[in-house]
Amino acid sequence: MTNINGKAYAMNAITPMKSWKTPVLRGFFFILGAFPFLQASLKNLSFIHFARWVIIRHDQFPHLSARQPLEDLHYDYLIFLSNFNGTWNQYIDAFSAVLSSGLNAIWRWSEKFPGSVPVTPFKSYIAQVQFETDYYYNAYPRAATNDVKAALRLQSALNNFAKTSQTLSPAEFETAYLEFIAQVQADLGSTGMAPVGT
Amino acid sequence: MANQSGHIYGLTILSPILESNRLDICHATELRWYLASLPRNHTSPFAQVSSTHFARLVVMDDVVFVGAPAREEHLKSRYLVFETNFDGDLNRYLTRMAVEIPELVNSVWKHCVGYPGLADPNAFIAYMKKCQIETTFFFADVNDKTVQQNLKALQVQSALSRFVERNQGKPASEVQKSFGVLLKRLAEAPDPLPGGIDSEKTAAEDRPYDR
Repeated sequence: MTNINGKAYAMNAITPMKSWKTPVLRGFFFILGAFPFLQASLKNLSFIHFARWVIIRHDQFPHLSARQPLEDLHYDYLIFLSNFNGTWNQYIDAFSAVLSSGLNAIWRWSEKFPGSVPVTPFKSYIAQVQFETDYYYNAYPRAATNDVKAALRLQSALNNFAKTSQTLSPAEFETAYLEFIAQVQADLGSTGMAPVGT
Repeated sequence: MANQSGHIYGLTILSPILESNRLDICHATELRWYLASLPRNHTSPFAQVSSTHFARLVVMDDVVFVGAPAREEHLKSRYLVFETNFDGDLNRYLTRMAVEIPELVNSVWKHCVGYPGLADPNAFIAYMKKCQIETTFFFADVNDKTVQQNLKALQVQSALSRFVERNQGKPASEVQKSFGVLLKRLAEAPDPLPGGIDSEKTAAEDRPYDR
């Protein structure tokens, strides 16, 4: 499936919104961007590499030639593009369980959004508005975003330890090495291909 | 600016796809055939534009009708959605695309309305900006590291994990000496390849610190 590359899944979804509602949603996103602590739940879920929400006004679809017909749309549209780890079901389940109020604040302005809880109608809605990816590139397909963050922490600790490790006596090294390993043990491991899932 | 988080730029492009009056030509289908043939690993064109973390190309056939009482409506053009997450500056990235992966750019955007070609990279950049839709909200989990920094950290993580496993129970002086060798090999190792590797043979070759 082209939606998947290694441990990442590319989701695309588009939902219609009445034009008068989009400024409200823009205001919500502005506040979310201005106060990063409001993104804590999203950050703590820690399975999204990158995600974006893009509002396109009904008259904003690019028109590049007189021969291209002008769009005649009633609705504005919200496009959601996400690069997440895990399967589609895990992603939607986690979103519904952990971020339901945030999701409702974003998609309640879209037509016929059923709410993110209960999860069954929410999944049906997402499946309805999702469209498939034709090509997906991932620079580090063997790593989830948690792997990347663990590797960065470990590298930083290693750089600190490396500065002194070679000037210590063997006995001092043994103590320092064990302390270092104890410090980074949760971030050790190697990456690889994910189990197949959809 | 909502297109950026830290030093990561989130570019969203919607390029209208050409429609032909000839029944035997469908640009959207040809585009899909081409995209299906593109490699997705370290030989991907986007691995060549090495500041790319993630990128996708999607043919959007239409908007979605979610059911009554919503109004049913349709697009008059199909659109190519290009989503990319990269390090640094937009102009520099688009210039790299024009210069370093012209075959991909031509093969994809020749199916799109108003594509000027690559004879003048500035014209290509102007065209892409006309197709750009401002991102309303952009989330990047790690937004202060480049692709190469992430890949190097993953390489270090893998190397250190194997080192710890292999050196359990050995005398401290031996571990210390091996540790010095590991640090030297890691410092001298070539940059890991972006885009991933498919075969175990290549995976082993991508661990120069491990020989």
